[in-house]
Amino acid sequence: LSLSSHFLPLSLQAKMSRPVQARRLEGVDKNIWVEFVKLATTYSKVNLGQGFPDFPPPDFLKEAFLRALSGENHMLHQYTRGFGHPPLVKILAQFFGKLLGQDLDPMTNVMVTVGAYQALFCCFQAFVDEGDEVIIIEPFFDCYEPMVKMAGGTPVFVPLRPKAPKGGKLMSSADWQLDPAELASKFSKRTKAIVLNSPNNPLGKVFSRGELELIADLCVKHDVLCISDEVYEWLVYDGKEHVRIASLQGMWDRTVTIGSAGKTFSATGWKVGWIVGPTRLMQHLHTVHQNSVYHCATVAQEAVAQGFQRELELYGKPNSYFIQLPKELQQKRDLLVQSLDAAGMKPIVPEGTYFLVADISEFKSDVPDVPNSDEPYDSRFAKWMVKNKGLAAIPLSAFYCGAHKNNYSHFIRFCFAKEEATLKAANDILQKWKREKTSS
Amino acid sequence: TMAFRHKNTRRIEGLDSNVWVEFTKLAADPSIVNLGQGLPDVSPPSYVKEELVKATAVDRLNQYTRGFGHPSLVKALSQVYERVCGRKIDPLTDILVSVGAYGSLFSAIQALIEEGDEVLIIEPFYDCYEPMVKMAGAKPVFIPLRCKNDGNSTSSADWVLDPAELANKFNSKTKAIIVNTPHNPTGKVFTREELQVIADLCIKHDTLCISDEVYEWMVYKGNKHIKIATLPGMWERTITIGSAGKTYSVTGWKLGWSIGPQSLIKHLQVVHQNTLYACPTPLQEALAQAFWIDYKRMDDPDCYFYSLARELESKRDRMARLLQEVGLNPVVPDGGYFIIVDISTLNVDLSGVDEKQHYDYKFVKWMISSKKLSAIPLSAFCGPETKKQFEKYIRFCFIKKDSTLDAAEVILKNWNKQTA
Repeated sequence: LSLSSHFLPLSLQAKMSRPVQARRLEGVDKNIWVEFVKLATTYSKVNLGQGFPDFPPPDFLKEAFLRALSGENHMLHQYTRGFGHPPLVKILAQFFGKLLGQDLDPMTNVMVTVGAYQALFCCFQAFVDEGDEVIIIEPFFDCYEPMVKMAGGTPVFVPLRPKAPKGGKLMSSADWQLDPAELASKFSKRTKAIVLNSPNNPLGKVFSRGELELIADLCVKHDVLCISDEVYEWLVYDGKEHVRIASLQGMWDRTVTIGSAGKTFSATGWKVGWIVGPTRLMQHLHTVHQNSVYHCATVAQEAVAQGFQRELELYGKPNSYFIQLPKELQQKRDLLVQSLDAAGMKPIVPEGTYFLVADISEFKSDVPDVPNSDEPYDSRFAKWMVKNKGLAAIPLSAFYCGAHKNNYSHFIRFCFAKEEATLKAANDILQKWKREKTSS
Repeated sequence: TMAFRHKNTRRIEGLDSNVWVEFTKLAADPSIVNLGQGLPDVSPPSYVKEELVKATAVDRLNQYTRGFGHPSLVKALSQVYERVCGRKIDPLTDILVSVGAYGSLFSAIQALIEEGDEVLIIEPFYDCYEPMVKMAGAKPVFIPLRCKNDGNSTSSADWVLDPAELANKFNSKTKAIIVNTPHNPTGKVFTREELQVIADLCIKHDTLCISDEVYEWMVYKGNKHIKIATLPGMWERTITIGSAGKTYSVTGWKLGWSIGPQSLIKHLQVVHQNTLYACPTPLQEALAQAFWIDYKRMDDPDCYFYSLARELESKRDRMARLLQEVGLNPVVPDGGYFIIVDISTLNVDLSGVDEKQHYDYKFVKWMISSKKLSAIPLSAFCGPETKKQFEKYIRFCFIKKDSTLDAAEVILKNWNKQTA
């Protein structure tokens, strides 16, 4: 005992000189949104930055929420089932069972999470161990990389590469493609999973059946899991089909499919998401969930369940929200495409999502040149634009890993899930800016 | 084709079972009087429900808000807790809003605990502490509350830590101690002196303190809730956790918060931005408005923080009486909404049942099926060494409406008649 107290001051010194935070936080502390949301709040007159609609959720959903709140059953203010409120998991099992061609058990094949964000977290924590590699397709929704790292995994990046569009046409998100040989080369013995995001944020790419089959074949060949982020599943345009990779041959057993009420029902503030998959994968997601947040808010789940009930009844019919919303958004997409094209920015027409990326390489602007700057050009451009023009957008380099940020640093991402008035205001800013440039 | 090689990650190995998953299912039958899981069956105050209705009507409030906490909520929390703590609390840097106190505990543990660390947990403990510490790769070190009066306990105040035993558990690897006051499941309200003993050790060994104070307002006559973070030298090393679910009887809103110095909270914020990013907006707005209403009347006995405690105290007294009438000796809690009782004196013979389970698990399952009354077995709240010690106790929750307690009364009064 006297020996340990003799050493105590030294070990105490050692403890005090160590950082207080856990090593798992190394390299995951930076977050683009914290910075850009602050900038938008401070400077923007027109915010096409962060991805959320500035129009309300549909009336039927707001009514469902009110019914849940004002009903006799005040137990909706108390805990519900941890893995998902029974009415919600039941309807999700029904709905997605049909879409995936599987007989789904609501208790074991579906789990509800706090937004798709927490769904992703559960997947990485459940499946990625130290030393595991996870393939991420660039550009990617930025949280994948820090989540893989926090789980001790190694992200392995493979880029979508733009092919020049046929003469005179605007580039489409379909023109950004994986090189099959390059993709195959990324699979190794250590590859645990690949993250797929289709429709893709930020490009708006909707992976074709052929492209998904390529990925599926590699997953099967290398016994790799697929984490499929399909939050924008309903937002596809020009009659394109959203193909669910879990429905492809050999994929059901190795895929977890993530969805979001926030994107599905234009209610990002409710933070209700879900994961659908085979029991032997879902059970591990249950374990992570019950040891991290356990329950999700009851009332929101009740309302989303009712929203899905309505959509199940109206599936395929013209007044289904899942048909009306993409129709409306396609028009908004086209408005923004026109504005950007007219202003001299080169829009890449998205096949899906409510994001649009524009090439600003030939848009000469007043953004000062900063030699030897670490910060990619598009990031400086976006910051300058919000401060000086009041228009908020997100630099595409935010969606690339550190090593690749400068490869794609002349693109910015706009969100067009906005009221027409907002898009018109954006157009006014862009056209005025163009006039100022040509006249100077 | 290769064999499917996908099993769970190491971090969740052995963490798959959970007392709630098991017992919530058993008690779900509506014919069972459910005094098990800690959730109110009383209605939350009407102004709280109204604020949520108002919030959902505002379009902007149906979209994302600030990730670390909705501005009006963190502002309200900072005001309430500045008053309680007597110190300045910055709403943006000293507070993180998470998905319940559960999510707050998770953020704190993931942010500050890792492999090689030891974390002290006082037994019995709210069951999630152990798996969360393990999931972070650290070693839980248990220290039991011990009954002062040789096992004849009538009050939660009888359960105390042995200071020498506690001191012995601290070493250079001790990263944190988790303190829960008022305590679940015993209802113990740690006194200033008891907290000072813990604080002294934390300072001596440079240990952090994670203080789970979800039941902070549920403190009964003669007792005072003391915040360990307010003791000298403790603010800079303590994360204090609170819960909307317990404060406002809205467990289904799943909102909680961590409060502490920026130097610690910033790491919880990093965890949060990499796990769920933001919490639901309308719920946070409604909670903020409810807090403003009660903040303005914190000098008034009608403030919900105090009126709820008064309401619960009479339910506590009723529950204690009912158990005493059956011939049991409940441990009357000084705080919280749980009451534990030694059921071994009922001499229910369960030797025929599955031997691998602890007596209290078997007892509760038997009580659910034969008496239609549910509770939670106390060994669920114990580390491996202590389970045997506590397996004669079960926990009842008494934040229940009168009709539920009436139904429990009928069952308890008829208990001896049925077994005779």
